[in-house]
Amino acid sequence: MTTNNDIAIRLTGLTKTYGSGSTAVQALRGVDMTIRRGEVVGLVGPSGSGKSTLLKCLGAVIEPTSGHIELGGEAIFDEKAGGWQIDDLRALRRDRIGFIFQAPYLIPFLDVTDNVALLPMLAGMSNDEARTRARELIEALDVGHRVGVRVSMLSGGEQQRVAIARSLVNHPPVILADEPTAPLDSTRALAVVRILNDMAQRYGAAIIVVTHDEKIIPTFKRIYHIRDGRTEEEAGEGREIA
Amino acid sequence: MINLASRDIGHHLGRFIFTGIGLGLLIGVTLTMAGVFRGMVADGRAVIAASGADLWVVQKDTLGPWAEPSSIRDDLYRSLASLPGVAEAANVAYLTMQVQVKGKDVRVMLAGIEPGGLGEPGQVIAGRPLLRSHYEAVADEKAGLAVGDTVRIRRHDYTVVGLARRATSSSGDPMIYIPLKDAQEVQFLKDNDSLVTERARTAANPALNRPGVPGLLDAVLASQTASRNVNAVLLRVAPGYPADEVKADIGRWKHLTAWTRDDMEEILVAKLIATSAKQIGMFLVILAVVSAAIVAFIIYTMTLNKQREIAVLKLIGARDRSIAAMILQQALALGLIGFIVGQISATLWAPFFPKHVLLEPGDMMRGFVITLVVCALASILAIRAALRVDPADAIGG
Repeated sequence: MTTNNDIAIRLTGLTKTYGSGSTAVQALRGVDMTIRRGEVVGLVGPSGSGKSTLLKCLGAVIEPTSGHIELGGEAIFDEKAGGWQIDDLRALRRDRIGFIFQAPYLIPFLDVTDNVALLPMLAGMSNDEARTRARELIEALDVGHRVGVRVSMLSGGEQQRVAIARSLVNHPPVILADEPTAPLDSTRALAVVRILNDMAQRYGAAIIVVTHDEKIIPTFKRIYHIRDGRTEEEAGEGREIA
Repeated sequence: MINLASRDIGHHLGRFIFTGIGLGLLIGVTLTMAGVFRGMVADGRAVIAASGADLWVVQKDTLGPWAEPSSIRDDLYRSLASLPGVAEAANVAYLTMQVQVKGKDVRVMLAGIEPGGLGEPGQVIAGRPLLRSHYEAVADEKAGLAVGDTVRIRRHDYTVVGLARRATSSSGDPMIYIPLKDAQEVQFLKDNDSLVTERARTAANPALNRPGVPGLLDAVLASQTASRNVNAVLLRVAPGYPADEVKADIGRWKHLTAWTRDDMEEILVAKLIATSAKQIGMFLVILAVVSAAIVAFIIYTMTLNKQREIAVLKLIGARDRSIAAMILQQALALGLIGFIVGQISATLWAPFFPKHVLLEPGDMMRGFVITLVVCALASILAIRAALRVDPADAIGG
């Protein structure tokens, strides 16, 4: 049984329109979505279907046109109440949302530890404490042997694991992953999904994985298909990853 | 909190240092230009101070021996010496000319002085001062002469008996001191061919060659070949006597113009080297603008190369001020490297400049502050570009 406390993300009637008048483009046309803590769901759709727009709205990077967004039971956007309900959207992103990108987008002039520790430091944590927390995650993601190495020296898979560590380091209730397996081969892609599942379980984070990677789609237990700005929910195969 | 600026600099250390060196050489040129101006003023003041004179007496309504032609009779010094408050008076003659030093043309300022009198060089660093009345010279060390060398000035050879330091004209030419009589001859006496021609013309003039007046032609010819003029008379005022009072007396009773030491410094700085100062000032402004443009371009390019990282930083919650501070710190670090390189290079190459380059600590401090301000201003463009980066750029689509 799902209680309100288990809900990490709830979207209701979310719309986003770019431009106005005759040139207006409706990217999202009323998206409804509910994701529980510890759950990894896939968001699948063709190019231009609205996946990235949905991710940007969820990530508090662009403002939706209408609808309602809740994170952990707290309304962060409500068009009827005047839009964003939180003043400091950067702090919201820093403390409550983790991001994983198609490419790792690590900071090239920082080493592995500091790439991960930067977020808690930005949140005001002491350097030592932030680095300790970062190293724990890096160990958990099997890149502990690379802690002091510049990120440019890492393989693609290692970089993506460091990026995952960075997204988790502030223990956000929500992680948005934008095609995190796109540059990886099957083995590494499945390894990343396994890590995401493990981390979701361990930290209770809700993870939305935007993808059209056929290798990983069968691993989701729940999938949202997005087409022309509308979502349809579907039960996934939830295939076990060896 | 991690210092993002220092980490980024460390990541691109080679490029950063090479840029800093390039900027430093430019700053070195800027400091050197300021040093050249300071050197001109300091050398002019040094020559004025070294002369030991309190007053310069020159032809009426002229600015004095360096700024304007001045010609006065060489016997005037006697009546000037007898004025109340005057302790010492000496004739001087100055002229700029070209001499041959070891086969090369060197532009020098010739100073005719009375050995042991006012107007002597301040610092004789080798050999001795002038002692004889003819054919000796004391040269500034930058003239390229050594003690014992001979230098030909017009018709005669002069033996260098001493070397002086910081004895240059306001335009930077090294000075050569020779006895006054020799300088008068150099300045006013014509060459042999001209004298012969002049004598023939005078003899052909019936008014100057009258049959009934024996000796008239010889007297006229003698006056034409003798040199009785100097450019100025230097006066030393008796201790406790106000120089301005003596100056007023000279203007009133002698129909000459007298300048005090302060007046001479004013003439030197405000009139003689004013154009050079403006020129150097223009160069300094241009160099500052070029330096700013270089810093702005480098920092802007570095920032554009980091657009994706900046978008990610913004997306994960970095504050605008953290990103602006990173760029500002990089610009200041570039300025700091540039200034250190500039100061070292200016110090190293200054002795090789033909003009005296005076690098004053105050100018260095001002240069340092200006460099940092210019770098901070130059970073504004990059900061604006960074703040315009949309965090949404980090997310595909």
